[in-house]
Amino acid sequence: MQTQEDSLINNILRSRGKIPRLESIGKKPAEEGGCGVTGFISSIPVRGRHIYEPSIQMHNRGNGKGGGIAAVGLSAEALGVSQEVLDSHYLLQIALLDPDCRPQVEAANIQPVLEVHKAAAIDTVDDYRQVQGLEVRPPDVWRYFVRVKKEALERFVEENCLQDLDPRRAEDEFIYQNSVRINQKFYASLGDQQAFVLSHGRNMMILKIVGYAEKVVEYYQLEDFKAHGWIAHQRYPTKGRVWHPGGAHPFIGLDEALVHNGDFANYHAVSEYLRQHNIYPQFLTDTEVSVLLLDLLNRTFGYPMEYIIEALAPTTEYDFDRLPSEKQRIYRAIQSSHIGASPDGPWFFIIARNDPYRKNFQLIGITDTSMLRPQVFALQDGEVQIGLICSEKQAIDATLQSLAAEDDRFCPVADKYWNARGGSATDGGAFIFTVSDAGKEDGSKQLVCTNKFGEVVSAPENQVPLTLQDTRAVSAQAGEIDRAVADGLAEADLSTLTAYSIRQMADWDYASLRHFCSVLVSRADRSDADKTKAIDVLTALNDRYYSTGEKKRSGVLHTVRQSLTELFSSSPKIGGNGSSRYRYIDRKLRPSLTAPDSRDQVLVLNAREFEPEGDHCDARLIVEAYQKGWKNFICYGYKGQRFTGCGLANATEGVRIDVYDSSGDYLASGIDGLEIHVHGNAQDQLGQIMKSGKLVIHGDVGQTFMYGAKGGEVYVLGNAAGRPLINAVGRPRVVINGTCLDYLAESFMAGDPHKGGGFVILNGMQFDHNGVLHPQPTPYPGSNLFSLASGGAIYLRDPHAVLVDEQLNGGEFVDLSPADWELILPYLQENEKLFGISVEKDLLCVDGKARDYKSVYRKVQAVRLDVLAKASAESEEWGEDWRDSA
Amino acid sequence: MSKENKRRKLPETRLAPSRFRNTIGKYTIKRSSSCTSCGLCAELCPYGVHPRYKNFGRPLRPVEHKCIGFACRSNDYYCIDRCPEQALTLRLNPVLETLGDYRWTAEMLLAHWEMAETGQLPVVGLEYDLGNSGGGFDKIRFQHPQPDAYLDIDDADIDMSIELNKRGDGRPRRSISIPCYGGGMSYGSMALSALVGRAKAAKALDTLTCTGEGGYPQEFVPYADYVITQVATGLFGVREETILYTPVVEFKYAQGAKPGLGGHLLGDKVTPEVAAMRETVVGSSLFSPFPFHSVYSVEDHKKHVDWVKEINPDVLVSVKVSTPTDVDMVAVGSYYAGAHIVHIDGSYGGTGAAPDIAKKNIAMPIEYAIPKVHQFLKEEGVRDEICLIASGGIRNAMDVAKAIALGADGAVIGTAEIVALECVRCGNCESGRGCARGIASTDEELGHMISEDYAAQRIVNMYMAWRKQWCALLRELGMRSIKELVGRSDLLVHLDYLEETERAGYKPAPQQHVII
Repeated sequence: MQTQEDSLINNILRSRGKIPRLESIGKKPAEEGGCGVTGFISSIPVRGRHIYEPSIQMHNRGNGKGGGIAAVGLSAEALGVSQEVLDSHYLLQIALLDPDCRPQVEAANIQPVLEVHKAAAIDTVDDYRQVQGLEVRPPDVWRYFVRVKKEALERFVEENCLQDLDPRRAEDEFIYQNSVRINQKFYASLGDQQAFVLSHGRNMMILKIVGYAEKVVEYYQLEDFKAHGWIAHQRYPTKGRVWHPGGAHPFIGLDEALVHNGDFANYHAVSEYLRQHNIYPQFLTDTEVSVLLLDLLNRTFGYPMEYIIEALAPTTEYDFDRLPSEKQRIYRAIQSSHIGASPDGPWFFIIARNDPYRKNFQLIGITDTSMLRPQVFALQDGEVQIGLICSEKQAIDATLQSLAAEDDRFCPVADKYWNARGGSATDGGAFIFTVSDAGKEDGSKQLVCTNKFGEVVSAPENQVPLTLQDTRAVSAQAGEIDRAVADGLAEADLSTLTAYSIRQMADWDYASLRHFCSVLVSRADRSDADKTKAIDVLTALNDRYYSTGEKKRSGVLHTVRQSLTELFSSSPKIGGNGSSRYRYIDRKLRPSLTAPDSRDQVLVLNAREFEPEGDHCDARLIVEAYQKGWKNFICYGYKGQRFTGCGLANATEGVRIDVYDSSGDYLASGIDGLEIHVHGNAQDQLGQIMKSGKLVIHGDVGQTFMYGAKGGEVYVLGNAAGRPLINAVGRPRVVINGTCLDYLAESFMAGDPHKGGGFVILNGMQFDHNGVLHPQPTPYPGSNLFSLASGGAIYLRDPHAVLVDEQLNGGEFVDLSPADWELILPYLQENEKLFGISVEKDLLCVDGKARDYKSVYRKVQAVRLDVLAKASAESEEWGEDWRDSA
Repeated sequence: MSKENKRRKLPETRLAPSRFRNTIGKYTIKRSSSCTSCGLCAELCPYGVHPRYKNFGRPLRPVEHKCIGFACRSNDYYCIDRCPEQALTLRLNPVLETLGDYRWTAEMLLAHWEMAETGQLPVVGLEYDLGNSGGGFDKIRFQHPQPDAYLDIDDADIDMSIELNKRGDGRPRRSISIPCYGGGMSYGSMALSALVGRAKAAKALDTLTCTGEGGYPQEFVPYADYVITQVATGLFGVREETILYTPVVEFKYAQGAKPGLGGHLLGDKVTPEVAAMRETVVGSSLFSPFPFHSVYSVEDHKKHVDWVKEINPDVLVSVKVSTPTDVDMVAVGSYYAGAHIVHIDGSYGGTGAAPDIAKKNIAMPIEYAIPKVHQFLKEEGVRDEICLIASGGIRNAMDVAKAIALGADGAVIGTAEIVALECVRCGNCESGRGCARGIASTDEELGHMISEDYAAQRIVNMYMAWRKQWCALLRELGMRSIKELVGRSDLLVHLDYLEETERAGYKPAPQQHVII
């Protein structure tokens, strides 16, 4: 039986069938996988220049052949219209590839049907060549504020039987179809490409160019243009010559702009699904297809965002089993209707949208079910709030630094960083930042972050953010702090001073903290011994979790890190005078690199100005310095520079690298002997093929951590993202104190742990904002643990036996033997030394009671799988029991 | 210049006889009991089919594979006719009916064994330039040569070398002296002596061979400058050290024989030694994932390439991909990511270890992929900056030449090198004791059937024989360098586009004037 709604949907879809189109179906012209995506949305409007920095950070994720930005929640004043017009009118932006075709476009698709409130070319710099690095002249863009003419709309409704549709939504549909017609006529049809619609939503806009995304800001003079939400995309088309930005992201739905990192394996299947609904892609990239699909689900089918996300990234396996039965019923229905069009393969979407019907702006990040693309989310709460989504953490840091430099209500460190778990029952693999009216009647707005299921993600409440300009405040406890620092530094053992500062942290205000740090910094000038101690104490404050009292942890961290930076930067320059143990080097000083004076000298490397890769990257400098005899390194100032520690070759025992700030991908990949400490979160592909040595991460670690590793001792304080230790062999011994998203130790082949093989200890713990350690809801949320592993073991802290057989694929749960405990205890003790996570008081303590290791830890070991062991030629061909049946 | 010349000195061909007693020949000769051992046949035969020791009266078993068969009839030394007792009979060897397949025909196998043994092109009338597949390279021929184009120059004056680094990016220039190098074969899939023999041959030939993904045995170290380290999706045996040793790192994204699948070594072959090299569990099958877990897009790929370049500032990077329909995009993407060599692996290759369902059903045939990629790179304006290497069912010298004329710079050879080691293409490569010839085996007994020197010399011999064919072709085309042949698809014809009557006119290869 057809409901009224069904027929309305059909009427809408049928009306789209009337739009002229080319029947020939082209293949995707450019196979592009890669890109960098970034976006943020704030409770206050912020300037376009802040999308500039993160875009630059992601240059190496694009190739300068396509970049674009979108903004939502715009400033009416800057656009020269009233707020009422901005809210009610469609902001139609047309890129004129051929500047002379504007009269034709207007005559054909604007004047007859649209009421134009205001039309103008948007401002640009005078000559595109003034913008460095811009090789192709960006298109002229005309901006129209429009409504559909009454008669035109009435005719449209009449002809297509849309009387049951809300008139405003009918107008939306008209605008959408009108743009499809423009594109069809002036872009997608055979012949010259003359013009295309960049965007047509309300209170939002898209601009794109051939070049890096930040050049959009420069060329179209958006540095000072304010908007609530911004997204940017660096494109990496593999085809070389591109003369216009039609294929660049973001792509438009109606009121949503979408950028995409990844590549569909089923582009044709999704396109076919769209064609069945009379939707014909015109730009032939999978990003366009994505947003068309989103728009279909959203505007035509009227799905809520949760169901749209489910249709795009279905919940599968054990995660599906964990859903409430009512949800399972709905999801099953969604999946059975939409799985054919669910994008398959690696993808990550960032969507900026205006929802005029609910009067809010949103920034949405959705990852595919397998989490094959990198993604980081961050949230900062306070007087102003901001939510950020990026492919790499350093882009988030760059955004916050840029914002904080202008407005001290922003802090360079976010309150919370996390990854989404694709298609999961825990967070649904998607997070939505919604900016809506704060209800204070003053027009102010508030930001709320929710996951797919609508559960709110928040930062600790009632804490005071750091105010950067508040530097003149004097600490009331200055005298006491001075004494404590003097006494502490006098002692050989630093633990007293460290313990003191951690204890005091809850009570100190920012001024006291700042005083403490500055005393340490000034004492460090007196002697190397004090400097070493000062670095150690501040490093402990940077790494450890403790109660920060009424201060925000982000504010504390920023203060501590600034002091560390100050300590590092004040080291005597390489090649200069002085007899310090520390020697400073940066990009400019690189040619002055000399051999160290003594074995224990420390090379302090400021990575800031270095290229992220290539022959001149800082990682090469470390190799050179090592070859000259340097063994100790402090590296800081990172903004995503890659490959730290790589290339030193084997037999590097005794070398130590301490890494501060936003370190990059592939850190420690291939190391064989040396020791690396990452003081903060680490990024993707760490420890790939690592052979031996020690890696300590005082934070979370990104995707495909220790892929194909052969050995090494590794300690992670926080969580690992997806696919850690895949295909690891040999003897890697890893302690992860948090959890992993999924696919931990798939195809693990690390021998017998009792005979020198490898293992992973997964503690599944986390610190709360008071610095107290708690077990996470489950030590491992994923559906795939130790899949198809043939060797090694996982030791799980799972006192309540939360994990079930369904999460294994080939492994088996067994009890720990005394030999197992004897094997892992030394690693837990080292873990205790590094992170302060006590074996007795924390790990073996369950619900306040001390327990035996056997009732706390479980072991997952490999079972000998037929599929791995027997596969002889005959059994491959004829099945396992061919001999018997013969 | 003198140094260059010295480096280019051709390796010596030396007789490297078969390891087996009775080499299979095209013909078989029976000696009946009426033989009186008069010795006439031994005196007559210039090919040495009838060996006879001095002071040893009894006749020996004929060396059948040297016999030129019925073509000898017109000769006055045709032993069958001349035997006074009519004790000799000649017929086609029925074994041939059971040997080989449509792509690697029995005659092609026999001919390659002969080339590997002698370093010469076979004297016996064997069709080794074409298989019987009814398509692919078997349907492609070179145009009739222009008689006035003929260049009368010596083999030694013809340049067969190709450049691997054309980017001019400050990394070392590297050329190899034949337009071929060895494909990846992993430790564990093959007898170690065969692998080391390949490396030794690569050094002698001044070309390269490739580790495959099974790790880097110490035995390769003396030949390190001629061994490519393969970084494949399982990352087995890849250590920073092995990236530092090597002149070229090959990223194996996919294999034409099994696109969409990672490498796999079945449990049988995971012996204690193999498990130790790969640091895995004895007897457990080793499946490499597909694709790289760290690479799901082109910018990940660039990062991956950058990583290896950071580790070894002198290394060149080769990217091995299979041939999906968008292989041209993949190639261009690899170029922009900084690769020096794009290696496209078509669908015909693969030993018995690749599953049939993959081997025979997916990926584009290489003769379609090469011109597609070549053309696309040209349109991009980057063809001159990248070395395009083709592989996947390139069986013989003429296949290599055709691949080059279609647009490749050179070819990667896998199967032919194994055939040189007397592989019979029985297709049982995946199981430990499956290889009757002890080549694709890590079995203790079988693996010792091959010596390094034997393997090296056989491979050198085969390539030196191939070189003769390339030289003959270039002479006919009036070219002094194999580089001139790149992309000259105008010199090729495809039989499907010719009338039946015209087809016969196109010879499979330039006429050789074999002098005995």
